[in-house]
Amino acid sequence: MTDVQQTRIAAGAMTADTAFRVRMRRLFGVLQGMASNPATVIGLVVIALMLVMAIFAPWILEPNSPDPYQMPRDWGAVRKPPGTPGHPLGTTNEGGDVLYGVIWGSRTSLQLSLMVVGSTMIVGTIVGSIAGLVGGWVDEVLMRLVDVFLSIPELIFALAIAAVLGPSFGNIILALAVVLWVKYARIMRAQVLQIKQHDFVDAARVIGDTKLNIYLRDILPNAVTPVTVQATLDMGNVVLIGATLSFIGLSEAGIAEWGVLVSEGQAGIASGRWWASTFPGLMIFLWALAFNLVGDGLRDALDPRTEGR
Amino acid sequence: MQLRDYILRRLMVLPVLIIGVSIVVFTLTRIGGSPVGIYLSHEMTPDEVAEIEARFNLDKPVWVQYIYWIRGIAMGDFGWSGVAAAPVADVFPLKLAATMELAFASGLVALFLGIALGTYAGARRNRLPDHLTRIVAVSGASLPQFWFGILLLIIFWAHIGIAPIGRSDAAIFASIAHPTGLYTIDAILAGSPTALWDAIWHLVLPSITLGYGATAIVARMMRSALVEELQQDYVDAARAKGLAERIVLKRHARRNALVPTVTVIGLTFGFLLQGTITVEIIYRWPGLGRWMADSVLRGDQATLMTYVLFTSVLFLVVNLIVDLVYANLDRRVTLGK
Amino acid sequence: MLDAQHGAAPVASVRDLKVYFQTKRGIVHAVDGVSFDIRDGETLGLVGETGCGKSVTGRSFLRLLPVPPGIQAGGSVMFNGHAVCAACAGVGCGACGSTGRQAGRDSSVDLLGISSEDMRRIRGDRIAMIFQDPGKALNPTLPIGAQIAEVFFQHRTEELIALAGLPADTAGAIRRFASQSPRFGDGWLLALPGARAQRRQVEAALAKMVASALAETQVPNPVKLMARYPHELSGGMRQRVMIAQALACNPDLLIADEPTTALDVTVEARILELIRDLQQRRKTSVLYISHDLSLVRRISDRVAVMYAGRIVEIGATAEIFANPRHPYTRGLMAAAPSADTPRGKLAAIRGTVPELVDPPSACRFLGRCPHEAGACRSNDPALQVVAPGHSVACFIDHPAPSGERPTYDRVTA
Repeated sequence: MTDVQQTRIAAGAMTADTAFRVRMRRLFGVLQGMASNPATVIGLVVIALMLVMAIFAPWILEPNSPDPYQMPRDWGAVRKPPGTPGHPLGTTNEGGDVLYGVIWGSRTSLQLSLMVVGSTMIVGTIVGSIAGLVGGWVDEVLMRLVDVFLSIPELIFALAIAAVLGPSFGNIILALAVVLWVKYARIMRAQVLQIKQHDFVDAARVIGDTKLNIYLRDILPNAVTPVTVQATLDMGNVVLIGATLSFIGLSEAGIAEWGVLVSEGQAGIASGRWWASTFPGLMIFLWALAFNLVGDGLRDALDPRTEGR
Repeated sequence: MQLRDYILRRLMVLPVLIIGVSIVVFTLTRIGGSPVGIYLSHEMTPDEVAEIEARFNLDKPVWVQYIYWIRGIAMGDFGWSGVAAAPVADVFPLKLAATMELAFASGLVALFLGIALGTYAGARRNRLPDHLTRIVAVSGASLPQFWFGILLLIIFWAHIGIAPIGRSDAAIFASIAHPTGLYTIDAILAGSPTALWDAIWHLVLPSITLGYGATAIVARMMRSALVEELQQDYVDAARAKGLAERIVLKRHARRNALVPTVTVIGLTFGFLLQGTITVEIIYRWPGLGRWMADSVLRGDQATLMTYVLFTSVLFLVVNLIVDLVYANLDRRVTLGK
Repeated sequence: MLDAQHGAAPVASVRDLKVYFQTKRGIVHAVDGVSFDIRDGETLGLVGETGCGKSVTGRSFLRLLPVPPGIQAGGSVMFNGHAVCAACAGVGCGACGSTGRQAGRDSSVDLLGISSEDMRRIRGDRIAMIFQDPGKALNPTLPIGAQIAEVFFQHRTEELIALAGLPADTAGAIRRFASQSPRFGDGWLLALPGARAQRRQVEAALAKMVASALAETQVPNPVKLMARYPHELSGGMRQRVMIAQALACNPDLLIADEPTTALDVTVEARILELIRDLQQRRKTSVLYISHDLSLVRRISDRVAVMYAGRIVEIGATAEIFANPRHPYTRGLMAAAPSADTPRGKLAAIRGTVPELVDPPSACRFLGRCPHEAGACRSNDPALQVVAPGHSVACFIDHPAPSGERPTYDRVTA
């Protein structure tokens, strides 16, 4: 073994060892950076409130039976304004309690965003990693596929898929998953290619690490950062697009989902019944806003260039 | 890499992407089942069904059907729209004009307003105007357009009662000819101030609804680009020459900040295109978006395929133009991967 | 006074200049009580390591600090510009030897105290600056000619109008055009037939002025160069353009902030020669900021050595190099290679520049100094004259108020 190789191994072992500590220190700095940005803190608080609402929904409002995700219908109290006893936020044309929709809608939105972001993150990460690691024609084919997917505007693509699958909330989840994985594939591939060139990966290879080991220990942890930022932004974005598809009419009618409720309430605005659309829409806005604020804060805290900006 | 090579390569990739999109769209609609359904009724015998299938080449292998579809498109035959009860190709131009009028009105306003807002905020970094612009930018990206539109309708249409709905007043519409389908242009061509006012008046609320988010995108990009540029050495060098701050900002920093801002025009265009769907539903705007929404709900595959293919091609072309303009503008840009 | 023995008033006098920066960790004393003079027609070299405050000092002359977080915490920068030549109004003629200035002083001003509008009039006209990286200091989206033209628009509107053959009382859109202060709608006004011809005349006059400014820096084919963009030029050419731009109005003082650091060594020599040549012909004073001691030795009449926000030694170049007194200056000289340095004799100064947050009342070189003693830990040495025109801030040459005095003989580990 030559001198050069030995020093490289030493350097490799050292960097791999300190890499963890460096990463932890950076994570701490990121958290600090986020905490010092008031907008990010507001976003985090709103997210926390939304999560509490979603998780404790069955305890806040009695679940509708048999299906709690179906709006309860109080036919004795249709089109009631906010402040009506038993219906603090009023009722819809069909006697649906707006408050029930608002609270149980957060549960629906949480399911939607977790399922879509979770699945797209996994699929995108796998595809992007394969493309970056294997390279050659596999990379070429996968990336051209990604290019084609990115050529169709997101909402229109999701709308077309949901339309073909038929109107149901489950199909909206599926449609969004099909459309959105490509972003993660792109990010992941770029990360793999970038990190592959670093010295410590070279050094690890000289030591004789297997490709899988190098990937798991050196490449994957480094790629967590940009994927996390994208995932945070998507948590909000997915609910926004999902609600838009529901609003257009691609969910089952009558489910406790914010977009569906805005659509239901639309019919009443000509007669002055503003509440049925306003409150659920506000929830969509707050949800998307909170995740956008946190996502932006996260990106700023992670980007060394934005220091002091 | 030379600019010319870059342009050539981009132009060569474009048809590949368009073919890719067309395959995706075609595959998608076939997953939903044979489109023969819209021609059938319950009384038909299996023989009659087979006859219809044969008439529309639906008995052939899928890839042959794809070829027939593409050949039809090449000859201007986009199929039959069940929703419009007419050939897609006949209805499409009219709907397109309506959508483009809305998108352009919103886009132009968003571009100028966004650049102005972004410049104003970027030059006053971390001061009140900057914080306000940031709120506009983040809220614009989070605002559900369909909800925003409904809020505006609740206030200005249902409550105050000043805002119109639809695209024009029926009597005024009938009073002039519509050679272009863009009502503002038609009104100008006809020399009718009433019609022009009517067209603009109907455009106001939909444009605000659609343009708010787009303004946010542009303003945000312009702000960060300007902040970046203001930290460059040449800005200090310009000050060292004795230039007034106004000239340093406009002639030096803003000029350079506009270059990266060009890149968001593609993004903004996609945003506007998507946004027309819900905005047209809410304001009963007779454009492509509402047609698409109706088609989706009623299984009108020909319209759906045409719409997705058309918007994607438009999106690709706009992005290509933006990239080429950018490569040409930014003399610092390094071309290639 | 540090330079009391020198007869003529200096072109600029910096007194107790303090510039602080607000950071997350506290207030950084980037420049902490700096005083020096720049004499008429001399080149003063300001040397020091990165982060010692030399660039901030240079930028203070033009008040080019980012306002927050940079704070002008005190002191003054008096500027005594030459009176403009009566015969040619600053353009350059036989009477003034093409300097555009005549003997005698204009009013003297405190650059830190004047209004921003007055500051703006001085920038680029009386005091000009050359930046470290000409690739970054030129606007990438404007042609070379247009960038130099701005200096004339700003400071030579009258001459421009005269050279264009227009009456001195030219007003309206044409004057606004010649002073680069267009109003909304001027584009249409200038497109009118009469105005268009006048604008062409102004443009032609402008091109003449720009071309002659460029020709001064010995660039080949200045007229052709005017239409080129910065990215089309080499680094050396870009720096020549910067120099042409800086010297376009015959400034009294030129601040050169590491003008050759970003350039090749071969180009560096030619740029230095050019600065030297132009400076001698025009009698411009130069503040030459650099981290390179050997380079400063070649170009400066006097040298000021800066360390951690202070000047630790200042004097005539020959004197400083023959008889360096401050341990830091000696360390710098030992660290810089020269032709007669024997192999393996290069000595780095141990340690790094200290953090300048809340500096203690002690010598700033403490911890890096090979000779430090008790006095250095409890007292902060001030600049004191050790020989005519040579001042040093170190207790080796003058006694400390208290404590054990350092000597060159004693080497502390």
